[in-house]
Amino acid sequence: MANVDLKGVVKRYGNVEVIHGIDLSVRENEFIVLVGPSGCGKSTVLRMVAGLEAISGGEISIGDRVVNQVSPKDRNVAMVFQNYALYPHMTVRENMGFSLKMRRKSREEMDSRVQEAARVLELEPYLERKPSELSGGQRQRVAMGRAMVRKPDVFLFDEPLSNLDAQLRTQMRMELRKMHMRLKTTTIYVTHDQIEAMTLADRIVILKDGHIQQVGSPIEVFEKPNNVFVARFIGNPPMNILEGVFGVEDGKRFVTVGPSRFPVPDGKGDSLVDGAPMLVGLRPDAIKMGENIERLPKDWWCKGEVVVSEILGGHSLLEIVVDGQNELIAEVEGRVVAHPGEIVPIGFEFDRMVLFDPETTNALS
Amino acid sequence: MREASLDRLKAFLTLLPSIVLVGVFVYGFIGNTVWISLTDWGGSGSLAVDPQKNYVGLANYAELFTGFLAGGFRQDLVNAVFYSVMLLAGAIGLGMFIAILLDRKPKGEDVLRTIFLYPMSLSFIVSGTIWRWLLAPQGGVNILPTYVGLDPLTFEWTSSTKAVLEFNWQNLFQIMLYVAAFILILVGLWAFRNDPRKALKRWLGPGIVIGAFAWLGGSILPQALFMEETHGFNLATLGIIMATVWQYAGYTMALYLAGFNGISQDLRDAAMLDGASEVAYYRHVAIPMLKPITISAVIILSHISLKMFDIIFAMTGPDNAQTGHPALNMYLTTFRANDFARGAAIAIVLFLVAAMFIVPYLVSQYRQRKRG
Ligand SMILES: Nc1ncnc2c1ncn2[C@@H]1O[C@H](COP(=O)(O)OP(=O)(O)O)[C@@H](O)[C@H]1O
Ligand SMILES: [Mg+2]
Repeated sequence: MANVDLKGVVKRYGNVEVIHGIDLSVRENEFIVLVGPSGCGKSTVLRMVAGLEAISGGEISIGDRVVNQVSPKDRNVAMVFQNYALYPHMTVRENMGFSLKMRRKSREEMDSRVQEAARVLELEPYLERKPSELSGGQRQRVAMGRAMVRKPDVFLFDEPLSNLDAQLRTQMRMELRKMHMRLKTTTIYVTHDQIEAMTLADRIVILKDGHIQQVGSPIEVFEKPNNVFVARFIGNPPMNILEGVFGVEDGKRFVTVGPSRFPVPDGKGDSLVDGAPMLVGLRPDAIKMGENIERLPKDWWCKGEVVVSEILGGHSLLEIVVDGQNELIAEVEGRVVAHPGEIVPIGFEFDRMVLFDPETTNALS
Repeated sequence: MREASLDRLKAFLTLLPSIVLVGVFVYGFIGNTVWISLTDWGGSGSLAVDPQKNYVGLANYAELFTGFLAGGFRQDLVNAVFYSVMLLAGAIGLGMFIAILLDRKPKGEDVLRTIFLYPMSLSFIVSGTIWRWLLAPQGGVNILPTYVGLDPLTFEWTSSTKAVLEFNWQNLFQIMLYVAAFILILVGLWAFRNDPRKALKRWLGPGIVIGAFAWLGGSILPQALFMEETHGFNLATLGIIMATVWQYAGYTMALYLAGFNGISQDLRDAAMLDGASEVAYYRHVAIPMLKPITISAVIILSHISLKMFDIIFAMTGPDNAQTGHPALNMYLTTFRANDFARGAAIAIVLFLVAAMFIVPYLVSQYRQRKRG
């Protein structure tokens, strides 16, 4: 087990720079999730850590060793690929044992390690089968087993669950988490799915166009996004962003959104001056309806017109238009049956609002 | 229901012309050749309008394998075996080797690929002529060393009369058992590291038993011939083998290169992370994955080598006993000696040998398709 450090890591393909100097410290035993939209460079970062892609600039170290020039097989990292990359002509046993065979481990050690991994992953009945005779979920387990038997310093996962159906994905997510709790191997996990990121990560790294946007715990990036991109990328449905203008009157701080005026709690947007434009971010679950709004101060209330409502079982999603111009998505508890066109009272948890600079889209302290 | 049968009728009618043509011109003629091989059509009067053909059973075959005068044919068969084995090893080995080099994406890969594939587009007569010149006793390859100040080679590539690996045809059965034992033991040793028990049971055990039997019980095996007759690997065929390997290596290279390109980058990366060196990647991952390609190459090359005719004709002519081949012998027997029945028998022998390679392949293909 080891920590992984990236210092100013750059990747260029020809003249095109796709990773623009990334700094990241992954601590020992940590489960880091790299998340970002497709094409932002997640796989490239992972492959540079694995040594499958040369580094154009900067430095990567694993443990205390700079590995820029170390070949993949000597980095002691194991990788699980999106399409599993199992050897089709080998049985499950041979697939899992291949790395040990290449490292000239004894037969006994190979057998016992493969057996152990197969037991944990419940693959024992399938050891003599070929990958083509397994289901997607089983193949996924074999791929994980192949990584596990090596007892690597670092696990690298590149979208390992994207080829599974939704139910299996949820199940495997849990198992990944359990596996990490048991093995405690330092893990870098790449996904474009923010739910996977939120549920698996000790810390999330949000990547966009080869730049790191934010590094933080799932709660941190959810509640305190660094910028509008992170705010909208993390969380589903995404955060509502409204354009507003900051104002001060009689020592009271407020924000004007369209014709409505709402108070700004202390501690938010302290650097703002009267008349400054800003963006207000509100999580869908910070919008309340029905009796839940009673707990909020009266001046946090307003009225909105329901456009669409979707009941998702335990909670409901509503699209609401406020003041005839600002569209909001609200995620409310219970089965709220609201008819399109209905005008309903809603309340905002303004203590949870996030303010952004409209120029830079960065969060305002 | 009615529509289905109408569809079937249409399909049948569409296929009918080719069924008839293949039936007559392939299977009908094979049948006719079999029939002729069982007669005594030949010798004087064989070109008469209505030649005499009497049924003689397997006499022609018996003569070919045990006859006093058919030693030439037996040497041709031995030539064909060595020729096949060396062409397979050479063309597959060299083709695979070039494919591996090109798979590593050197500069100018596409140009090189075309260059290596190019010999395929030549006819055997052309490449045979080129190689005859290259392998001439006092030219081409033999004078290469003189360019660096060495003495010229004196090896007679296509006209040497030396032979190696000589054996007595009388001991044919014993030798075949030895070869079988040798192959079994070789495969067994290779498989031993992976699964000792299976290797012992399937390969090593039978190999050792057969080998021991051939060694101890060799004297009770029947002799294949009433007299001593030595055959061996004629060195003069080396030149022809080289030329054919040269012509076909590009073809196997193209097969393997396409196969290597079809292996996903992820698999290669996985192997690298698993600790496989480049060599280990090809040995344990890429080449085993391309087993179907290897099998196809073996089938194609072995039946080509069994039908080999024109390149030998072009390089040494049909009458050079040293470089003879059953296909050439068939031609000479049939059309020079007018011994049609004997020629037909040779054709059928070749046909059966080729079938030995191809039928198992077709059966396994058919089974696979049924399963898939
Ligand atoms: N071999 C390559 N050559 C050129 N550009 C590449 C190569 N691999 C990836 N890229 C580019 O690098 C960027 C990041 O790719 P990647 O890391 O695969 O994204 P992600 O995994 O986040 O979807 C993309 O814009 C992609 O087009
Ligand atoms: Mg990717």
